[in-house]
Amino acid sequence: MSTNSIKIFSGNAHPDLAYLIARRLGLDLGKVVVSKYSNQETSVTIGESVRDEDVFLVQSGCGEINDNLMELLIMINACKTASARRITAVMPCFPYARQDKKDKSRAPISAKLVANMLTVAGADHVITMDLHASQIQGFFNIPVDNLYAEPSVLKYIRDHVPNWSTDSVIVSPDAGGAKRATSIADRLGIDFAIIHKERKKANEVSRMVLVGDVKGKAAILVDDMADTCGTLCLAAKTLVDHGASAVYAIVTHGILSGKALQAINDSPLTQVVVTNTIPHDDKKVKCPKLATIDISATLAEAIRRTHNGESVSYLFTHAPE
Amino acid sequence: MRGTKIFAGSSHPELAQAIVDKLGMTLAPVHVKTHANHEKTIELGVSVRNQDVFIIQSGSDNINDDLMELLILVNSARSSSARRITAVIPFLPYSKQSKKKKSRGAITAKLIANMLTVAGVDHIITMDLHSDQMQGFFSKPVDNLLSEPLLCKYIREHVRDFRDAVVVSKNAGGVSRVTSLSDRLKLDFALIHQDNTNAVPPPVAATNGFVKPCTATRLPPTDSLAEIEVIAPEWHEDGLQLVGDVQGRPCFVVDDVLDKPATFIAVAQLLLRRGATRVMVLATHGILSSDALAQMEKCDAIHDVIVTNTYPIAPEKRQMSSKLRIMDASAVFAEAIRRTHNGESISYLFHTSL
Repeated sequence: MSTNSIKIFSGNAHPDLAYLIARRLGLDLGKVVVSKYSNQETSVTIGESVRDEDVFLVQSGCGEINDNLMELLIMINACKTASARRITAVMPCFPYARQDKKDKSRAPISAKLVANMLTVAGADHVITMDLHASQIQGFFNIPVDNLYAEPSVLKYIRDHVPNWSTDSVIVSPDAGGAKRATSIADRLGIDFAIIHKERKKANEVSRMVLVGDVKGKAAILVDDMADTCGTLCLAAKTLVDHGASAVYAIVTHGILSGKALQAINDSPLTQVVVTNTIPHDDKKVKCPKLATIDISATLAEAIRRTHNGESVSYLFTHAPE
Repeated sequence: MRGTKIFAGSSHPELAQAIVDKLGMTLAPVHVKTHANHEKTIELGVSVRNQDVFIIQSGSDNINDDLMELLILVNSARSSSARRITAVIPFLPYSKQSKKKKSRGAITAKLIANMLTVAGVDHIITMDLHSDQMQGFFSKPVDNLLSEPLLCKYIREHVRDFRDAVVVSKNAGGVSRVTSLSDRLKLDFALIHQDNTNAVPPPVAATNGFVKPCTATRLPPTDSLAEIEVIAPEWHEDGLQLVGDVQGRPCFVVDDVLDKPATFIAVAQLLLRRGATRVMVLATHGILSSDALAQMEKCDAIHDVIVTNTYPIAPEKRQMSSKLRIMDASAVFAEAIRRTHNGESISYLFHTSL
């Protein structure tokens, strides 16, 4: 009888992160060939036996997002039909997470569709990080472990922001993120403020309203996601106009698409800190203000604990060293 | 409406009657019998074969009984060959439990969604779900109606000085709801945060139960007075922190559910101390369990309590309170039912008050 051992495979979305996770666990990545036919269909070959194994597939939602999702689904299905005992999809950044509600008439809830697709493909468990809305856990019929980057963010602030305890304020760049901001502000024991895009009159360009005080302090903007960075840069400008001495932005998922890098370079932001749920090494060259928080340890620890059947709730409040 | 039958459960007959009155229909007969062991037997008093069936059932104080009744109603319509079954649930029970609270929580709202689907429902009409994401819990279409147009209309018609007012969220989670209303009325907003780590320990007299004890009060540094002010600004009171300005202005404290009044009262008192002229509490679902209404009646800081009639409020409670105002939401549901039946768009109802 073989003992139920652990196998980690990586798709093409973020092999560097998968490597960091595997190295921390003292494992090698499993052999898998993911290629494309000439008509752009994805083809997956799992290069080693997964029969009765505990399989973890690391694939983030980034870059060529649909190709990467398709890759993940096919990999899950390949492992399922190859008699894997359990298949856990490790998705540091969950694709389509922003489409989680009918915010307009006839809007699709695509996050639910992705959840259904993962389940149908054969996933038994999902590990992800900082879901755009934690209600997405309810879209699945399988267990979802939503990890938090918050402990790592707190550590970063304590280590890197000068005089954080007396001279800084946590700021939410929109109303929806107020809860995230207050949670961080509470943990650090510092004040918080909120920025809101307000439309006072029809036909007037929306303006930013700051609720709270940032005068003479370093403002730390926190959010779960930064894409084109339009809101973030406008928020930074508003904060500087209101007397903030420096503006940091700490974001879990740095998608940074479109003109984001140019916008950050031109903005008064002092530093933009993102985690490595999404690859951004090439972007760091173009944008010197970018800095990284490595969260591979949190994911690795979650994988280890899931495999061993231990509780993961410790990771909600502590960043592994 | 031709080929339509509307049934009502026993949770909120008054609202159901108001809805069918607006549609110019009568409620279809249904016999509910409760056995000695509290099991329910339901008999639809009229044929529903190939009919468009609507079942109106809200939450109430007997929440589990009413939920079970709704499920049995849906199932009996399904097994009686109804063409389509729409559950009209003005207040969806268990909707606050829509996410895992950190570790090992159940997502009960998702369970309710599954139960309704399994019972055989084809469509759900509800109002002001606790979180918009809940629509994704259902594999059937959900129409989440909004009470916001109703609230706006009420404020415009009944509050003379509303243009000076500030809309206040009583916690960080409700800010999007509040900014949406403040945008629509073109008002300022503020929010209140229950801050348990940063607060100055409240004086003993002000501690009235709901204030959690300060677990990690930081010691003020001894080197300069200025630094002490930074750590404990004047607006940290009773572990509550007001972000925004309400000096000399009336305040609307807005939330989706109004149940236990302790935080509302604490918030209203804080707002008055910070210079608000008047505090009105507005909520969609007025659950007001046990003596909530009596407590708000006693509290001098709250001047008005405004809710809709999605949730049944006992007549004796209503008579006892001089502050309670109830907005009628039946027209919104009636129109949603009519449009659903006729296959018309209902997005008109999201921005227009009837």
